Amino acid sequence: MPPKNDVWQGTLALMILKTLEALGPLHGYGIARRIEQTSGNRLAVNYGTIYPALLKLEQENYIQSEWGQSDNNRRAKFYKLTRAGHKQLRQEARDWEQTTAILARFLTPDSGS
Amino acid sequence: MKSLNKWLSRFAGAFNKNANERDLADEFESHFQLHVDDNLRAGLSPAEARRQAILKFGGVESSKEAVRDRRGLPFLETLLQDVRFAFRMLRKNPGFTAIAVLTLALGIGASTAVFSLVNAVLLKPLPYPHSERIVFPWRQPPPGTNFGYGDIPWSRVGFNLFSREAKTFEAVGAFQSDSFNLTGAGDPERLDGLRASSGFFPALGISPILGRTYSPEEDQPGRAQTVVLGYQIWRDKFGADPAILGRSLNLNGETYQVIGVMPPGFVFPRAEEMPGSFTFARQVQIWVPLALDPGPPVRAEDDELAVVARLRPGATLAQGQAEMNVMAKRIETIFPRGKGWFESRVTPISQQLAGDTRRPLLLILAAVGVVLLIACSNVASLLLTRSLGRKREFTLRAALGANNHRLIRQLLTESLLLASFSGLLGLLLADAAIHFGKALGPNIPRLAETTLDLRVLAFALGVSFAAGILFGLAPAISASRKNLTESLKAGGQRTGESHANAKFRNALLVSEVALALVLVIAAALLTQTFLHLLRVDPGFNPSRTLTFQLSLPSAKYPDQAHIVTLYQSALHQLQDLPGVESAAIVSTVPLGGPTQSTGVRIPDHPARDSSGGPFANYTMASPGYFSAAGTTLLRGRDFTEADTATSLPVTVINNAMAKSFWPNSDAIGKQIGPGSLLYPAATVIGIVADTKRLSLREKPDPEMFVPYTQKVWPSLLTMDVVLRTKNDPAAVTAAARAAIHSVDSDLPLANVSTLATLVDDSVIQQRFAMYVIGAFGALALLLASIGMYGVISYSTTQRTQEIGIRLALGAQRRDVMAMVLAHGGRLAALGITIGLVAALALARTLASFLYGVQPADPITFAAVALLLCAVALLACYLPARRAMRVDPTVALRYE
Repeated sequence: MPPKNDVWQGTLALMILKTLEALGPLHGYGIARRIEQTSGNRLAVNYGTIYPALLKLEQENYIQSEWGQSDNNRRAKFYKLTRAGHKQLRQEARDWEQTTAILARFLTPDSGS
Repeated sequence: MKSLNKWLSRFAGAFNKNANERDLADEFESHFQLHVDDNLRAGLSPAEARRQAILKFGGVESSKEAVRDRRGLPFLETLLQDVRFAFRMLRKNPGFTAIAVLTLALGIGASTAVFSLVNAVLLKPLPYPHSERIVFPWRQPPPGTNFGYGDIPWSRVGFNLFSREAKTFEAVGAFQSDSFNLTGAGDPERLDGLRASSGFFPALGISPILGRTYSPEEDQPGRAQTVVLGYQIWRDKFGADPAILGRSLNLNGETYQVIGVMPPGFVFPRAEEMPGSFTFARQVQIWVPLALDPGPPVRAEDDELAVVARLRPGATLAQGQAEMNVMAKRIETIFPRGKGWFESRVTPISQQLAGDTRRPLLLILAAVGVVLLIACSNVASLLLTRSLGRKREFTLRAALGANNHRLIRQLLTESLLLASFSGLLGLLLADAAIHFGKALGPNIPRLAETTLDLRVLAFALGVSFAAGILFGLAPAISASRKNLTESLKAGGQRTGESHANAKFRNALLVSEVALALVLVIAAALLTQTFLHLLRVDPGFNPSRTLTFQLSLPSAKYPDQAHIVTLYQSALHQLQDLPGVESAAIVSTVPLGGPTQSTGVRIPDHPARDSSGGPFANYTMASPGYFSAAGTTLLRGRDFTEADTATSLPVTVINNAMAKSFWPNSDAIGKQIGPGSLLYPAATVIGIVADTKRLSLREKPDPEMFVPYTQKVWPSLLTMDVVLRTKNDPAAVTAAARAAIHSVDSDLPLANVSTLATLVDDSVIQQRFAMYVIGAFGALALLLASIGMYGVISYSTTQRTQEIGIRLALGAQRRDVMAMVLAHGGRLAALGITIGLVAALALARTLASFLYGVQPADPITFAAVALLLCAVALLACYLPARRAMRVDPTVALRYE
């Protein structure tokens, strides 16, 4: 089992990508807010932790950034998915579904014959 | 792909720091604003909105750190930071830096120089292709024969058989040296040449850079002569003329056609690479065909053939040796009376060329290793001292969050930086030392190839690196052991060093003293050896002598009569020169090369032992040789002009022969002759003192001198001339040349020298060893005394408070001084004791290098021990005086 930090980093990256796909280009604060909401406020994370993850995704070319204007005319850095990012998202989502499906078979009470 | 992108971005990120920092700050600020806006909209007060936003964000700095860590290459950045800091630290303490760099540079420079020598002689691959297949099958005398040499020459017939029937060898060549007088191209010049069979070049595998070498067809007697030139002679004598091929040269009166030029550096064989039973020149300048007569054996052959062979690919040394054993049996069938004389021992070329230099080289390598250890240990001590002064700095850093790992890395960076400066300086020193050594050094084979090549540079780099880590570890480890609060307190800087530290430094010092002692003892023994050798009575008077060699071409001087006539007129001309007292000729001057030796036959004592002995040196000389050389005539008379080819055969023998063959009677009047009954026995007419022939260390062998006019078999074509001059020999050289020129204008003078130079040259190895080990010993002594000064000085400073207290309580100043001296004395005594024990243990390894002094000579040991005591006390003197001058009131206030 990889260390918890890595698992968290991996899932955080997936959540960021999914958020950007669902909501389109968004700034760091917005992404963090949205992740908190989507998880049903079950994840209580510090918003600051999102930035290293955003940087990593940007270095890997899955997202790209651009300064722009927010709704209230605040200057903010917006991130959006690249084409590679779309592909990566679909790939990782499939991987996760597969993983959970396999685990489900182990963890349900009846495991067949 | 994604990770490549990631690393490229990080690499790029390392260079764009300022812009990125601003961007990040802006982004965070904008994040706050957005959050605060939302909070305000949700109804919170401005202060509360801000507070909630801050709380929710988490640690700003740690997020920034996390982003920074991911952005650049943190390792690289901190490394650069460390290096800049280390640079500043070194610059801040110039005195310390200078001493440390210089000390270490001396150690690194010396070891690099020695390593380059070891590299050239022992490690570098030989410049011959597939050199592991090149071997020398030296003929061996049967066990028990007192030949003095292990490897002896081949005969013509034996070699012809070998080259015809060799199966495990793909090329076989025979060679012997010869000298050639080159005339018709400027001044007559004597060239050292090699008569080599056509298989010689393929066996070595070196191809000429111009033209070709001769074929087996050209290597037959009676064919037109060809010659292959060496690079140096082509360049110096013929101006590297590209049209040299086909040119005719007059060598020894015969015409030779130039057919090739060998590459630079090829001068095989050098005399020092070949066994002592052969005569070879220092280097070979030209190669001509050996042109061995392929016919059956004839009497009285005096070929001195050396053989080189190349194994077939895939054949092993063992197989080669096996074939030689078979060959021996084959030759025995041709020469049944020589049974047992045809065994040979196959020696690979790498072993042959290294000669017996392996042991002296390893000795020097060990000595320089000692110096390097002492240097490192000094620098470690210095660094340890300085790091103690920085204890507060380190604990502060630790308190601010630096972890151990980081601290150690920083300290190691400092020491590696120091080591790299020292390494660079050391390389310069090594280069100078190499040039020095090449100019003054003895004839170690391949000495000329010593350079700073890649392997040596890698060695220097490795040594610097290892040294840096070695002496950097000590302060690094001590810095990481810290007691935070203790060190941060006001007096923390001075509250004495930890016990472990002090013990470590003392241990370093003790080992330095011990190592220095061992090295100085070795130097003292070698110096005594050299001095003893110089005081040896060589049996002749080396002062005011001029010697040179004449090689008569056999074409111009075909028989005894011509030769004798030439020498007689030459001697007359030389004798008449105003600066010359006496002139004579001799086969070989003392210390001028190996002598002819033969079995001798004494008609009175017909007992011959199984080896064909007894043996004696056989030398031809002219009348007056002994007085020219300064050898005392003990009894009887010298030769005179009356001793000619037709008069009674006479001989003058040396004292060793007289004592060993006629111990109880007068040798004068007795008969002795060369082994074969063909040659008449000569009557002993005089006894001379023993002379050293090959080295000053030898016990003289029996020797018989015969007048050159009465010679029996060795060739007179090459003789040494000895002139005893009235004043400076150099002044006579030109006149001597003219005198010879007047007798034969085509005859060059070779090996122009003096007997004194020959004596000097014979001890060149001992002198070199003495200088090198002596220099290392002096260096070690200097470094150890600096080390002692450092340690005692620092510990005295540490104890200033204690000294103040003692003085205040009534101690005398000289008691304080005694205390410091005793501290140093104890350490020195321990080091000296350990060193003496080590020296005793190692003494035996030095035995073969010594002469006239025992390896465990008690006087030497005692003297060196006293020397080190004195040096140690001297090193402690200054700190002791400082301790004496401590003002108690100041000391007690001293923090």
